[in-house]
Amino acid sequence: MPAKVAHTSWRKHRRAAWLGRLVGLALLACLPAHAGMDDSAETVRIGVLAFRGAETTVSEWSPMLDRLSRSRADRRFELLKLDHDGLRSAVADRRVDFVITNPGHYVELEAEFGISRILTLAGSSTVSPDQAIGSAVVVRRDRTDLQSLEDLRGKSLAIVGREGFGGFQIVWGELSSRGIDPDRDLSALRSVGLPMDGVLDAVERADVDAGVVRACLLESMGSRSANFRVLSPQTPSAFPCTTSTRLYPDWPMAALRHTSPALAREVAIALLSATEGTGPGWSVPADYQSVHELFRTLEIGPYTYLREPTLTDLAERYWPWLLGVLALMASGALYTVHVEHLVHKRTAALRAALAERETLEAGIRAAQEQADHLSRLSMLGELSGTLAHELNQPLATIGNYAASLSRRVDNGRLDDDAVRQATHEITCEAERAAAILSRIRAFARKRTAKRERFRPAQVAAEAIALFRGMLAQAPRVELIDHLAEDRTVEADPLQIQQVLLNLLKNAYDASRDQPAERRALQLGMTAVADGICLWVRDNGPGLDEAARRHLFEPFFTTKPDGLGLGLSICKTIAEAHGGRLTATPPETGPGMIFTLTLPDHA
Amino acid sequence: MPDTASIVIHVVDDDTAFRRSLAFLLDSVGWRVATHASADDFLVACPELPPDLGCLVLDIRMPSMSGLELQQTLRSRGWSVPIVFMTGHGDIELAVQAMKLGASDFLEKPFKDQAMLDAVSAAVRRGSAERTEAAQRASARATLDKLSPREHEVARLVALGHPNKVVARELEISEKTVHIHRQHVMEKAGISSAAELARLMLRADPKALDEG
Repeated sequence: MPAKVAHTSWRKHRRAAWLGRLVGLALLACLPAHAGMDDSAETVRIGVLAFRGAETTVSEWSPMLDRLSRSRADRRFELLKLDHDGLRSAVADRRVDFVITNPGHYVELEAEFGISRILTLAGSSTVSPDQAIGSAVVVRRDRTDLQSLEDLRGKSLAIVGREGFGGFQIVWGELSSRGIDPDRDLSALRSVGLPMDGVLDAVERADVDAGVVRACLLESMGSRSANFRVLSPQTPSAFPCTTSTRLYPDWPMAALRHTSPALAREVAIALLSATEGTGPGWSVPADYQSVHELFRTLEIGPYTYLREPTLTDLAERYWPWLLGVLALMASGALYTVHVEHLVHKRTAALRAALAERETLEAGIRAAQEQADHLSRLSMLGELSGTLAHELNQPLATIGNYAASLSRRVDNGRLDDDAVRQATHEITCEAERAAAILSRIRAFARKRTAKRERFRPAQVAAEAIALFRGMLAQAPRVELIDHLAEDRTVEADPLQIQQVLLNLLKNAYDASRDQPAERRALQLGMTAVADGICLWVRDNGPGLDEAARRHLFEPFFTTKPDGLGLGLSICKTIAEAHGGRLTATPPETGPGMIFTLTLPDHA
Repeated sequence: MPDTASIVIHVVDDDTAFRRSLAFLLDSVGWRVATHASADDFLVACPELPPDLGCLVLDIRMPSMSGLELQQTLRSRGWSVPIVFMTGHGDIELAVQAMKLGASDFLEKPFKDQAMLDAVSAAVRRGSAERTEAAQRASARATLDKLSPREHEVARLVALGHPNKVVARELEISEKTVHIHRQHVMEKAGISSAAELARLMLRADPKALDEG
């Protein structure tokens, strides 16, 4: 972005004379009007690019203000004299309603803020507003080696500043069209600043080979102009001065986007109808396409994006983004610190929560074990009738032998063989009864879950034995073992036994009304990926879809005297081992298959 | 006490130890015992009804064929065998069913030794009584089968105590003819009185003398 505009119009100097004459009168004329105005009157602010000090600007533009104020008594017009950046931020903040600035700056504001020109200065009837601004590249008259702009290659050039429209950019465009890059092909490009006379001074002192001034400056200097010569001189028709460049339209007045069209029209009409001699003249807005083209060629202003970006360019162009990124990084760092702090703070809270959770889990485990226990007890209850029968067998046997012995003593039939047989059988049967009781006690005892490695076949065989032991008319259970001889699994053997026993009992209940040949059950063991399957199949009537869906829910039961806890606890046991329990109808034949899947490592 | 030496008690129970203990108990009082591990084993061992079978002691619950099923099988074969059932706790319904089908007795395990021995004795007695009765019936039938139809008619009316005159009127034959038939009946049956004739006919058929 251009920081300062060194643009000066030839017209301003000339105008200064007649403006000066009018200043006093004009100010006197308008001040009372302003003073008498109601404070509530609407204020219209006009921002103007000031490049020669506030005083001059006021005197220069006062007639125009006066004219506008007279055209509308209910409005107060105010002039804001601003430099390049000040004017830009005034436009950005909508602190002004109108803008008067040089063509280059106008094009930039137009592109950036959408301001639109309503008038173009028309300084003199002899100069067309469309062809009003040009630049002259001057050298000392004695530098005969320098004739045209092409001769500037390798030479040094003085300018007021890079951002000047008439003071540099127009010449830059001319050089560019001749294949000369001021930065690359000149030996030096020296900014001397305002006033523009400094450029002439530098050329005169031979500090530089050439200098850029606005067209018509030389013509306004009288005899001093004889010391200089203009390179590539042109004298276009309807232009009173010598120029080294093509000509561009004069300064525009533009309305901002927020300015009402009615106000813009009013101002335009008031200024267009101004008669000669009441301030700078205005004409209908000129075509600023030529300025656009110049900027596009130079890839500056709104066309900066066309330029091959350098790191600095990027930084300048994207500084808000850079700032944003930096801010993000900064906030990221802050966030990290904050998070660190939070982590420390929350770790303590987490530890407390974990401890609480462990307590809770211990409670849940206890409840789970209690439920397991209840389930075993309820199963015992269901089996109690048949358990009694089972215990009766050894008791009745023992009773028979004991009674027989005393009978034989009485009738003289007691021989040594009889005593031996009886005592041996009595001992065996007493042990058998004790074994049954201890199985029941182990089954009913509360215990905590444990993990050990064991052969599933062994647990399955024990489950079958226990199952058969518990039922007087236990059906045949076929053990189908597809596992390798030494296959082991890591689990709680008693819990697995409980699951199998439960499944066998369910299978038995499901098929007890069936004819004898359909009462046989199967207990199978199959290896699967990462584990084993233990399954129990019956040939009962099977279960419908609805029953299968609720099968594992607590208190769901199809038995008239069932509690509905068995399968739900079996499922819990399966899941506690990282396995699962499923119920599926067999691919062929009647009944159901309940499958307990256990991973190798629970 | 029946003649224990000529009679065999058959025990069917799937529990080996118990089966042996029961045999040991029955042996204590002199019974000869045959044991079978299942109903099927019994049927294989005894394809025909053994003439010396005293009674069956059957466990009511057994795998494969139960005691009740064996009872029905034997009935369907027409074997008249006294059975003592052994039941478990809560098997009363089954026991009642067995009794309705003609079981001799049932005992709940564990039972007192005396109860078992009494039940077996009773069953054997009942069995031998039934066997005696059956033999007598067969003999009476064989005797009566030697009579001609007319002699049979005369015998039935005589056995009912009717005099010859009544019989003659009943059968519309002469009193003399009745007398000749009556003599033939007494000769063929080897008896001499109307009372003996009545006993013979009732032995052959308990309903032989019913009216109608």
